[in-house]
Amino acid sequence: MLRAENLSMRYFRRTGQANLFYAVKDVDLELCPGEVALLTGRSGSGKTTLLHMLAGLLTPSEGKVWLEDTDLYALPDADLSRLRNRRFGVIPQGRSAVDTLTVLENVLLPQQLRGEKGDVENALRWLDALGIANLRDARPAELSGGELRRMAIARALAGNPDILLADEPTGDLDDENTAAVLSLLRKSAVEEGKAVLLVTHDSEALPYGTRIYRMESGFLRGEDADG
Amino acid sequence: MKKSIIPAVVILILSLIIAVGSQTFLGACVHDDGSFGACHWACRAILGEGGLLAVLALMALALKRERAGLFIAMIPASALGLLTPGTLIALCKMPTMRCRMLTQPATMILFGAALLAALVGWLMSRRGEK
Amino acid sequence: MGTSRLPIKNLLRKPGRTAALVLLTALLAASVFGGSVVVGSLRSGLQSLEARLGADIIVMPAEAESKVSFKNMLLQGTTGAFYMDAAVLDEVRAAQGVQIAAPQTFLASLKADCCAIKVQIIGIDPDVDFTVKPWIDERYAQGLGDMEVAVGCKVTAGVGETLKIYEQYTRVVAKLAETGTGLDTAVYCNMDTMQKLLAAAEAKGVSHKISSGSDVISAVYVKVKDGADVAQVNSWLNGHIRKVTAVRARSMFTDVSDSLSGIARAARALIGAVWALALVILLVAFAMMIHERRREFAVLRLLGVSRRGLRAEILAETALCGLAGALLGVGVAALGVFPFTTLIETKLGLPYLTPDAGTLLALAGGTVLATLLVGLLAGAWAAARLSRTDPGATLREGA
Repeated sequence: MLRAENLSMRYFRRTGQANLFYAVKDVDLELCPGEVALLTGRSGSGKTTLLHMLAGLLTPSEGKVWLEDTDLYALPDADLSRLRNRRFGVIPQGRSAVDTLTVLENVLLPQQLRGEKGDVENALRWLDALGIANLRDARPAELSGGELRRMAIARALAGNPDILLADEPTGDLDDENTAAVLSLLRKSAVEEGKAVLLVTHDSEALPYGTRIYRMESGFLRGEDADG
Repeated sequence: MKKSIIPAVVILILSLIIAVGSQTFLGACVHDDGSFGACHWACRAILGEGGLLAVLALMALALKRERAGLFIAMIPASALGLLTPGTLIALCKMPTMRCRMLTQPATMILFGAALLAALVGWLMSRRGEK
Repeated sequence: MGTSRLPIKNLLRKPGRTAALVLLTALLAASVFGGSVVVGSLRSGLQSLEARLGADIIVMPAEAESKVSFKNMLLQGTTGAFYMDAAVLDEVRAAQGVQIAAPQTFLASLKADCCAIKVQIIGIDPDVDFTVKPWIDERYAQGLGDMEVAVGCKVTAGVGETLKIYEQYTRVVAKLAETGTGLDTAVYCNMDTMQKLLAAAEAKGVSHKISSGSDVISAVYVKVKDGADVAQVNSWLNGHIRKVTAVRARSMFTDVSDSLSGIARAARALIGAVWALALVILLVAFAMMIHERRREFAVLRLLGVSRRGLRAEILAETALCGLAGALLGVGVAALGVFPFTTLIETKLGLPYLTPDAGTLLALAGGTVLATLLVGLLAGAWAAARLSRTDPGATLREGA
């Protein structure tokens, strides 16, 4: 469904001898419906850069990203944005709340950006599944890191995307919530046929993956797992 | 709730400017022969009304629970001040007199601003209670 | 729906940030509107002064102080009285090149019946007067009768009231349109009335006679014939009539228009400085605000807002701020200028006449538009800078 072809990201850096530095180098990767791809690796190995390129948020130096037959980076910005809004659910690292909106408004935002009114019941179901339904009218500033992360997950899922790209979604969570989130993500792949990419270095996540990749200094190494 | 301090402080500052100003830089003139006109007494009344408003504002700052009610009281108090120069107490007839050129418009604007602030303060403190 | 309500929510839910931006733009708008109203008022004041002094030459007694007090009377409404023999009028009329010569006679009242202030009384000859007469005609065309007076707009008495001057009762028959000059505080009557008032004043011990038995006048307004050289007529009058000074009306007010253009220049410089400063501050403020919120904007991009959509969002916010600030600023400036018109006029000592409503509306509209434009410019600049970065790069920072 989502396919990376010979994807590279090059940065200029004024350290050491070489000015050129590859964060991601020649990556080929395909995400398929019903699959949970785990992407592990040390910090700085290029995981987040790869995820951003797959999400259409970062123009690669070389290579292409295909969504079915569409070359993402050949699209005009407006079309790419519309595609991201409708087909992608991205859970970025760190804070990703719109501070002036309540939790519920944040979760409804992707749908409202499409020009829809937003399905409140559906949003509340996701908030409930993630255990933060009681915070629906709270402002992001009042939330803890873990609650904010779960809000971002609810927001990605409530938009009903085909592709879920999650960057360390369990980073701020305790064990109980980690398990809940991971099974939720796996369920949406296995039962609803979404394609899921999970960037993590949490070993707890390993059993939830159907396919495991490792990043090492920008290179992707495949490691098959049976789930 | 906390934010309703802002209009109270604004009203305090305005009322102090009114009270002090009515006897100094906004005050009416003394006639050449040393006699006072009606405008002099209007300024005395304005001094009193400015003082009253200042006390109400101080009370609103000190008494958090009563703040909404105190803001309500400030509305007619400012309206009284607004009506004093020219309407309730006559000023000089000549438009070129100091009381007509300066005292009247300045106090009316200041009291008007205080009235507005009291209204805003009342709305803010009422919403805060809910 | 869509994103249309996001800018409003963003503004309302960060009241501190919004208030700062609105106040900043309000300052800009207030300085522009206030400044241009004052300059515009001075300009229309000078125009109305020139219209009231349609004379080419003014002849007055030679005493040094007469020129000064004449000007103060016109500009500040102070009282002044100086006299010359009425025979001067005939000499002026006889001069070559003089088309019309109209006399005026001045008298200062002791005290009007209110507030300790003296009033200037100006007697005119309705048959020949061409300066004040048309102005009176606007309100009272049948001509001033015996013991009838017209009053300037800043004189307390209303039409129909009785004005007591030196124990003489006069009837107010007209209140004149505002000129923004000292003429607004004067009282006008015909020459017959003036003679009675002069006599009454003398009975009260106010002397004005220059020689017993002769009538007196204070000034002669001269209009020269078409084609005659004003300078030549002026110097002829100065050279041939004794104990008078003839002054060209224009030269009399060159220093007024000089100081006016000086004020206008200073105001323009000040407004320019405020604009430059406010523009820089606004640019910095918007740039800072957008830099501070770049993560939030990156998140919006991540959720599927296009570059154009993000620009629209930022521009909508800055436009709303700019509009609110512009309206507030114009309102505050209006409150700061209009109620104090008389005070400004008195303090400046220059003719000051508030322009008509249409001009004021145009000024206000122009101010709002210009302020809005500056706000949009600042917003567009900040938004353009923002959309040059990939959201992915922003999201990585400090993640």
